[in-house]
Amino acid sequence: MSNTGKKASHLMSTDTLEEVGAAVAQQKAMERGPKFLPHGCRLFEVASGWESNMIRRDKGVASASTMLELEDAIRSPDVKIVFIPLDAMVTAPDIEKICQRNGVAKTLFKEVRE
Amino acid sequence: MTKEKPSLLKTKLKDLTPDELQSLEKPLGTSDRPFPMWGSQRVEQNGRSDLEQVLSVIADDTYPMKVFSERPYKEVIALAYGDMPTPSMLPLFFDGLERRKPDSTNRTQMMIGDPGAGKSFLGALQGRLRTKEPIEVLDCGGKNMRELLFEMVLDFGAGEALPRAIDKRLAAGTLEPLSLGLLKQLPDTAVTKDTDGNLQGIDWNALKSAGNDKVEAAFETLKKVSKIEGLDNAGGNALGMNSQYGPLIQKFIKGEEIVLDEYNKSREGTDDNLQTVWQFCIGELKECTVENPLKNKDATSGPSTFTFRREDTKPGFFVTLTGNKKEDGVTTRSLNKSVYSRLSPQTLPDPDVIDWQHRICQMIVGIPVSTLYTTFKDQADKDPDAFGDWLLWLRRTKAESEGGKVPELQETLLTNWKNVVNSSEKLARFYDKWSKMTNSEAITSNGNADLVEEVDDEYSKKEGIDFRKIKQHLEEAIPIRPRMQKEDAPRFLDTKAWDKAPKLGEAIPENPSLNLGTRLTEFLERMVYEKSGAVGKHKLYDKLTKSMQEFALRDITLQEAARSKQRSVEEDLNISAFNDRDLNKQANMARKVFCEWLRQENPEIKATDDEIATPRTFRTAIEQVAAAKDSAAKNELFVANRDPETLYAGQPLMSAIIKDAAVYVAQSKEIDFTLQDLVHHDDFLASLALPTVSAKNLSSVWEQNIRPLTRSEPANDRGAAASAPASGGSILDHDEALYIAENKSDKKIATTSLQVLWSDEQGERPVSVHIVRNEARGKTLVVSEHAPSKLLSAFKEAGVTHVDRHDPNAQTKVEAALADITRGMPGSVKDRLVDAFKYRNDVDLPHLKGKNPGLADLLVDEKIDMMYAKYLVKNDKKKAAGGPG
Repeated sequence: MSNTGKKASHLMSTDTLEEVGAAVAQQKAMERGPKFLPHGCRLFEVASGWESNMIRRDKGVASASTMLELEDAIRSPDVKIVFIPLDAMVTAPDIEKICQRNGVAKTLFKEVRE
Repeated sequence: MTKEKPSLLKTKLKDLTPDELQSLEKPLGTSDRPFPMWGSQRVEQNGRSDLEQVLSVIADDTYPMKVFSERPYKEVIALAYGDMPTPSMLPLFFDGLERRKPDSTNRTQMMIGDPGAGKSFLGALQGRLRTKEPIEVLDCGGKNMRELLFEMVLDFGAGEALPRAIDKRLAAGTLEPLSLGLLKQLPDTAVTKDTDGNLQGIDWNALKSAGNDKVEAAFETLKKVSKIEGLDNAGGNALGMNSQYGPLIQKFIKGEEIVLDEYNKSREGTDDNLQTVWQFCIGELKECTVENPLKNKDATSGPSTFTFRREDTKPGFFVTLTGNKKEDGVTTRSLNKSVYSRLSPQTLPDPDVIDWQHRICQMIVGIPVSTLYTTFKDQADKDPDAFGDWLLWLRRTKAESEGGKVPELQETLLTNWKNVVNSSEKLARFYDKWSKMTNSEAITSNGNADLVEEVDDEYSKKEGIDFRKIKQHLEEAIPIRPRMQKEDAPRFLDTKAWDKAPKLGEAIPENPSLNLGTRLTEFLERMVYEKSGAVGKHKLYDKLTKSMQEFALRDITLQEAARSKQRSVEEDLNISAFNDRDLNKQANMARKVFCEWLRQENPEIKATDDEIATPRTFRTAIEQVAAAKDSAAKNELFVANRDPETLYAGQPLMSAIIKDAAVYVAQSKEIDFTLQDLVHHDDFLASLALPTVSAKNLSSVWEQNIRPLTRSEPANDRGAAASAPASGGSILDHDEALYIAENKSDKKIATTSLQVLWSDEQGERPVSVHIVRNEARGKTLVVSEHAPSKLLSAFKEAGVTHVDRHDPNAQTKVEAALADITRGMPGSVKDRLVDAFKYRNDVDLPHLKGKNPGLADLLVDEKIDMMYAKYLVKNDKKKAAGGPG
């Protein structure tokens, strides 16, 4: 059995790797179960490290460190996924309050320390 | 540069062409896509006609419901079916859609209901169906309603530079202490503090329009902070205060929706000047002008009047008002008669079982499977796969519009949608009872008068069951958390080296759906105790535990359930990924387990999964296993293939067959296979860790020869007819132990033993693998030699508990597994299992003389050997699964 011959065909582009990584990180975060927020928004906790980095770096994801940024992201029709970093000045009740006053269903990931 | 096309919902109705209006129209409830609807209907019963509330559909190609939406059709459909309001709220949903038609002059809907019933959700949902933009939900609690028309706001200028600059310094910890002190004095609704009172964040949007008085105070505070921080000199850090149109006028101008939440909790006497506006909004007036009382106040600028005109109305404009039932608390006030008369509030009915079930399903899988099933029951029963595919399409399309993926857990549950329907019904009935038992207002009239001393108003407010409580319960139950072990589970304390981090064993990850039912029902048991028994409400606790049994949350009444083929909530929601209908997914799972195991067994193999076997190879192998006919009758199995020649030629599995020494003896034949022909222990165990293969093999290992051999009938030697319970009068026909050995007991319990090849430093030899299985619950105990760790996670999925008979705690582990497998069965079943074990195993040994060993003792006893062993032998290689058939 050779383990060299097929290597070239398994190489993925960086973009594809990033996309796959972000998708895997999202699924891993989703395994922890959601916090059900108003209007169908769902909040998932994501472990700080490679998982949170993959989600943060994903192209379609907006990062929000303050309440102002979070509300901007929630209100933007172009943003579907919001990432809230570990050091964000946004608490769980803040997230709930902002989702409650903006009737829209989005997916939120909050970085947490394991 | 192309100019962005203006939103049609935000264009005045008079300026829209018929084609533009047509483009907004999305029909809902047509003949081939009926939409569920709840309402009163005359139902004929025994010659009498009664008015009943029924769940039916709207399915009308000429007059369907219509959503006037800028969203693509598929998003409207996925949202409408996925986020569908509970059945009893559907009539309000219907009314809401009618009032949102472009030509409707009534552009309001007011709903009154219990907290948590989903009023603001329904209001916003109807807006969400029409646009991707968020729907503003304004909390009117304690607010001055005049500010809906004109309000005083803080003006931070373009880019909100001042708030951003303050946020930045707050995050960096560089704000001056004096500034921090001042910012803490901002209204509580706009600042977040930690438990020590430290400022954590500022809700600038809430502060901006916090109400006229608060805005003025905040303006003064921020002016000081700006100066202290030196931000007043920086360009762009504007700070002002303006009178402007309030949210209601702004929404009218923009052509958008607004939800005025908790309207009857607004400040008393502040909505008087809204009466004419409501008259305009419900279509009684064609025009109405309102004046700005704030104009020129404190030198602020702003509009002086506004005139609502019918001709200026845009189709996107709509106002939903929600209110809590008066009795929900002291802050709720009764509205003026004129408000009631104008806005005609609709009161939400108390939730029924069908409503609880609907919401439970939405929370578990993201769509209301139960309501969809009830509505389309005949078709779903006739073609469950097509119905399941449609449910998955709805869920995936909804997820696409909301960002993110569908969680694996939900995908698995939707693939097993019948389990979700069955379990959610039992849960709904249980929650319905729980809510009635904790509703102090209705307790004397709903059959729970005996609880009147334990359930008072205060308890009811605090612990009464509503949709929010269910949400909390599910949030707790879904994640996998550390679990308390059984009281009698083995424990080991290493008393040395506590100053170092503990040595952790290899992680055995668990699929979240595998024990969801157990987590949920255990959590509910805990909640029931904590909220009743633990706080001295013993009658309530007794009634709740009885309800848990009545609605089969756990398999307490297993015997009855087994007979009626009912399943408990726990069983229905414990779903293995191995049960996925999608063969590609099964093949991928199998390949992953196989390749990881192979590399562990043979560390010299560095090949990737693709190099070992392609997904297609595994799919073909799994298909062949699934299609193998009569394998159980022929005692044919499929085991992992490690032979490089055939493995890399695309055969990850090979055929094996049970050869029974008893048959050779009965036929006076010499054994015609050698030790080398036996299947290796690990290859057999690996097969039990592969989806489809595991189930197939566990159906093929059972006893077939004792009955025919004792009657001198042909035994099952490679294809001979399998035995069946005979119709004759043999004593064996009443031998429960033999039925257990044959896996034909009506208790659905079975045990048998096989011999496979084992090799270690002592050389090669045959060893026993003992199997105990409860087919009804899909649980299997396998006791044998040490199992490769890479198989352990997959064993969990396959419902297999493996115990290494040499493990110091083997007996305790076996006892725990047996207790689980025989849970709810009479004690005599364990005795019959011992008898069944003795059919093939020689327990007449010196060290067991005079003892009465239990099954656990026998299963782990290394000295027990098989008499007339059933050997698992490699079959003809040409028949290898995955090979050329």
